Amino acid sequence: MAAASGSNLSSEMEVDAFRRLFPLRFHERHLLQSIRPDGRTLGKARDTTIALGAVTSANGSALTKIGCTTMLAAIKLEVMTPTAESPDEGCIAIDFHMPPICSPIVRPGRPAEAAPVLAKQLSDTITSSGVIDLKELSLVGGKAAWMAYLDIYCLDADGSLFDAALLSAVAAFSHLRIPVVSLNDEGRIVLVSEDNGGGKLEKEPVNKEKRKLKLDSLPFSLTCILHKNYILADPTAEEESIMETLVTVVLDSSSQLVSLYKPGGPVPAHTSAIQDCVALTRQRLKELQKILNGAISDMEVD
Amino acid sequence: MAGKRGATPATYSPSLTTAKGKKKPPIFTDDANWVRSDGRHFHQCRPAFLRIATVNSASGSAYAEFGNTKVIVSVFGPRESKKAMMYSDVGRLNCNVSYTTFATPSRGQGSDNKDFSSMLHKALEGAIILESFPKTTVDVFALVLESGGSDLPVIISCASLALADAGIMLYDLVAAVSVSCLGKNLVIDPISEEEVYQEGSFMISCMPSRNEVTQLTVTGEWSTPKISEAMDLCLDACSKLGNIMRSCLKEPLSAPEE
Repeated sequence: MAAASGSNLSSEMEVDAFRRLFPLRFHERHLLQSIRPDGRTLGKARDTTIALGAVTSANGSALTKIGCTTMLAAIKLEVMTPTAESPDEGCIAIDFHMPPICSPIVRPGRPAEAAPVLAKQLSDTITSSGVIDLKELSLVGGKAAWMAYLDIYCLDADGSLFDAALLSAVAAFSHLRIPVVSLNDEGRIVLVSEDNGGGKLEKEPVNKEKRKLKLDSLPFSLTCILHKNYILADPTAEEESIMETLVTVVLDSSSQLVSLYKPGGPVPAHTSAIQDCVALTRQRLKELQKILNGAISDMEVD
Repeated sequence: MAGKRGATPATYSPSLTTAKGKKKPPIFTDDANWVRSDGRHFHQCRPAFLRIATVNSASGSAYAEFGNTKVIVSVFGPRESKKAMMYSDVGRLNCNVSYTTFATPSRGQGSDNKDFSSMLHKALEGAIILESFPKTTVDVFALVLESGGSDLPVIISCASLALADAGIMLYDLVAAVSVSCLGKNLVIDPISEEEVYQEGSFMISCMPSRNEVTQLTVTGEWSTPKISEAMDLCLDACSKLGNIMRSCLKEPLSAPEE
């Protein structure tokens, strides 16, 4: 069995063993046939689903799955006093968590290195895309505004974490319902119970109209692997661990470029390769918009 | 700049205006006529939704949803023990329970729950055949996505399903159920608001087909007849839950089930 020379060894071995021992050659053989081990073509993303309102204790939430990669995003609204510099603006605090359940490499007490990096990327993308006008989060100018805590949990890590996390964040914002509140005599914001009718309200609600955020130009992203001359869209964790050059493109709904990450890697990207990545993202954008709109209309029917 | 957690000002979540005096909710009243807020009978459990193999990257996993209590458990291993560990003839069990920041009504820190971690460890230890994986460790990690009451029993039941899904040798599945004492009444599988007002709580985790108890906790004030009543209630519910768990393991992976 193991006595044969190197080339014979690889041809006689079982597929699974070959995959583990020579992962790069295993993948390259697939690439030669323009196919990937999971049966996808190079430019195809995995099946994607969005479920809105997965967490009832939050003001807005969404569970997204891209292949096996699963993300749960939830938004909790709290009240804060706006800063002196921007008295009529609210605030968004974004955090990304990788709990030990999501991957064998994360252990309790030792947070994953990728988590803070992704948190920063997500936060930068969402703020710079201008998807949310912070003025919409204002309640009483100079006195009170919403602080939106967006927490994204990775429940299953199988590659393209940024794409799944951004999608869940965008979906959670689409699901967000702002509670009706009023200002009481002590200057604190209190909830107005909805079944109370309008009759015996002591105080007029301060945000009767603003129950939903106006979201313009939602950002969507696609991560691609560059390997030799191949471009692989939406890589799995296995592919990411073998071929290390990643490019993430974020576009908004009108196909404008929001951001582009290429955090190094052994393959220097040619301009044309970057353009190909952008083109793939443009296709993916349409798919993702359709899936998100589907999820939103499903929710409204219920 | 938005998104910076370090510079965030102090925030609070708005509360309800309608705090008319300090009237106790009906849950407090001592008569036998009140109904539970979710319309259940005192001795009726919430419908359980269980599913295995939910996390692909884990050796085994399970998701459990009892009303608003939603828990996901991943099992990793058996794998190499930490370097600092002493040599051990039998396998080790390592448990960790954490909450998401949005699990509870007021936003938390999402930190580890050390108390539940050790309780989970103690509840499962007796059911696992540790001799079957010497020198190695099995990690059981639980994440509470949403806390809706009776969290610990749900975590324990869900974790034993995840262990079974991972192919870890068990003497039996572990099913856990808790009972709250509210005035004269015993309510099974309490929700969060019932737990807040409870005078005592009682939890059993047991291996239903072996009729063995792995963990029993009693807190608060209990009379002896109440305790035996609670015990009967819990053991009966555990054996029913055990059957549901067993049928969940036998289901084909794709079909959703109740």
